Amino acid sequence: MNQIHTILIADDDDGHAFLVEDNLRRSGVSTHFLRFSDGQEVLDFLFGRTKEPRFEPEHGYLLLLDIRMPKVDGVAVLQKIKADPVLHKMPVIMLTTTDDPREVDRCHELGCNIYIHKPVSYEAFTEAIAQLGKLVGLAQIPRLKRDA
Amino acid sequence: MSSEPSKSTPAGIEELVHELTDIKRALDAHSIVAITDAAGKITYVNDKFCEISKYAREELLGQDHRIINSRHHPKSFFTNLWKTIASGKVWKGEIKNRAKDGSYYWVDTTIYPFLAANGKPRQYVAIRTDITQRKEDELQLKVLADELAAKNKELETIVYVVSHDLRSPLLNVQGFGNALKRACGELTDKFADASDATLQRLLGTEIPRALKFIETGVTKMDTLLSGFLRFSRLGRVAMQIQPLDMSRLVHGAVQVLKFQTEQADAAIEIGTLPDCLGDNTLVGQVFTNLLDNALKYRDPSRRCRISIQGKVEDGKAIYTVADNGIGIAAEHQPKVFELFHRLDPKKTQGEGLGLTIAQRVLDRQKGRIWVESKASEGTTFFVSLPAVATAK
Repeated sequence: MNQIHTILIADDDDGHAFLVEDNLRRSGVSTHFLRFSDGQEVLDFLFGRTKEPRFEPEHGYLLLLDIRMPKVDGVAVLQKIKADPVLHKMPVIMLTTTDDPREVDRCHELGCNIYIHKPVSYEAFTEAIAQLGKLVGLAQIPRLKRDA
Repeated sequence: MSSEPSKSTPAGIEELVHELTDIKRALDAHSIVAITDAAGKITYVNDKFCEISKYAREELLGQDHRIINSRHHPKSFFTNLWKTIASGKVWKGEIKNRAKDGSYYWVDTTIYPFLAANGKPRQYVAIRTDITQRKEDELQLKVLADELAAKNKELETIVYVVSHDLRSPLLNVQGFGNALKRACGELTDKFADASDATLQRLLGTEIPRALKFIETGVTKMDTLLSGFLRFSRLGRVAMQIQPLDMSRLVHGAVQVLKFQTEQADAAIEIGTLPDCLGDNTLVGQVFTNLLDNALKYRDPSRRCRISIQGKVEDGKAIYTVADNGIGIAAEHQPKVFELFHRLDPKKTQGEGLGLTIAQRVLDRQKGRIWVESKASEGTTFFVSLPAVATAK
């Protein structure tokens, strides 16, 4: 187990990605951040198909995943991650604009760790992110090294 | 028949024959008539039969009804028909036939077996009515209903997608509006001592005012979009229609609003309520909403009184929620069920969705809601739902 080294943000909206990172930093999170603008990008990274940035198995990763994204949507990404023998240990937080109960249920069934609804109200949003910040500070997460 | 002719005299028989001929003429004038022998060979057809089947009488006599078979019905349909009439029973049904020119027609049919002395049918009389138009109308109606259902679904999807997608940019407007506010705050601190009038005006008045309007606009839009989302979800939630203990349900709704009731110092009276058929949660929401409205729109000059009563009428349970509140002026009454309509947006909270939703969910449960009201006297909402006893 180790501390979170890098937070991965998969969100097609530049503004949302910026606000999430900015609010996490303001609430005291000091990890690295990597941003992906669609589901395919984040899958390419996680499954080692990219050189720069490159997936480092010994880093502790936490994924913040939006649902509605072009190419591959967040639910499909979650499905692929949770089906992988190694990646399924990585904590995944759904961070999305929808609070449709069916969608929430679906993500929980697929094994997402936390589901956070992006509220429009700034206070609620900051509060949600701040809670997340605290969690990130405390969390011990598994290494993702594949067994040799 | 009006007279009792004596059968013993020739005059009596003549009268009887005359009357029977009249009845047959009346039948011929109204219906498509055919008679077959016990084996099904056609022995008689009237003019209407020839007209609709487009066959000449000579072409039909001696044939059986297969001549006008449309191949629309399965074999078992006719096997069943024959089994019924051969056993001496009357058969009724709708048959699609094929005319000589290849066109199709539908007939509502009654086949009546005439029995011989041994109890076996000796011939069959088939009386038919042309229902082709009705069948076409039914089909047309079904197509229209299907189209309407599809359109409705499409509309709900559009409402869902649009309201969902519109929230995304809204989050940025608010998030970055707040970033501006923060930046403006820092600038104000930094230039607190500056004497530049323009700077003071911008930082002190104009920028904060603009930001405030942005914030109000965003909040309003978010409320509307959440309302749209809730509304679009209504058409999709699964309902469980079951007998509802309305007394329990309404007491439950009153309990939910206990705090508001105490705040308003309202007196709520609940009469004997008949049970009905509906979805527990959805009907509960309707009554909570009606009670909430009655509390919200109370007249501050008198003690708020709410009465909930019920009765069964024509297989329908009808409930009333009556208050002595501010009432609704006649010209506003048709509008209260409109999406996002609010009677007094300044004085009361809410997104203007409650009654729209109530109407929608009742409609899905074969129910109805309507209102009677007099300005400054009070309002009565009526809710009808299928009563338990008469339901299938």
